[in-house]
Amino acid sequence: MPMSNLVDVGLSHYLALSAALFAIGMLGVLMRRNVIVMMMSIELMLNAVNLTFVAFSRFRDNMDGQAMVFFVMTVAAAEAAVGLALAVTIFKRFREVNIRYFEHLKG
Amino acid sequence: MTLTAQDLLFYILGGLSLASALGVLLMTNPIYSALCLALTMVSLAGLYASMQAWFVAGVQLIVYAGAVMVLFVMVLMLFDLKSEVKAFSRGAVAGFMKLVAVGLMTGAFLAAIYNSADTLLGTSLAANVDGTASTKALAQMLFGKYVFAFEAMGVLLLIIAIGAVALSRIEGGTHADE
Repeated sequence: MPMSNLVDVGLSHYLALSAALFAIGMLGVLMRRNVIVMMMSIELMLNAVNLTFVAFSRFRDNMDGQAMVFFVMTVAAAEAAVGLALAVTIFKRFREVNIRYFEHLKG
Repeated sequence: MTLTAQDLLFYILGGLSLASALGVLLMTNPIYSALCLALTMVSLAGLYASMQAWFVAGVQLIVYAGAVMVLFVMVLMLFDLKSEVKAFSRGAVAGFMKLVAVGLMTGAFLAAIYNSADTLLGTSLAANVDGTASTKALAQMLFGKYVFAFEAMGVLLLIIAIGAVALSRIEGGTHADE
């Protein structure tokens, strides 16, 4: 890749950053055992997607991407609320929030 | 090809967000993970502002760096978790396979971005936008074109609020009758 590509920041750079953030979030979901840290990693992945939306919105001069960001944010906040409520109920019983306790969930 | 202020800002904020994202992954104390995640959110808000998505940057700061992170930190403090001895899942082979899977996925993403760079770079960059005008356009889109999705989000939030309260009212957690 020539030097000018590194200096002249364009859409590709934002997309590459977003891909890297998404990969780190996915590694967090796969490798960590604490449910709360796994949920933080999911938030990281959703944020990476938001970065893609905003970058496309900026570089293609189209506001639809920014509207999508709001929907992603709403769903992320909802997911965090329910996930943390589940983590609290798991913690009440086991005094720990390890992912392996989630296999005995019952309604 | 000169290094403009926005390019420099991209590298500073992008590097900061990558470093703090790695912090979320690698910190064994969940509180430090949460603080690293807050730093990632703030640097992403800076990136949005540098892309002139002013309103999205503000909402990112208020909703993510504010509300969601407060929720995470409050639940963590409720649990009183110390630094974890076994923070990562077990199994060397499984861990290697996970790394390979994520590496393959990232490689596929980067190859797709690199190969489509010509078509992507050919697109027009929006002129510098007035913050008030772009926010107004965004509002008209949310309450016009996407109004049904917007209302559905309201219903979703109501259901989530009821569900979270119902979940947290269960006596003795999720395993009460065992």
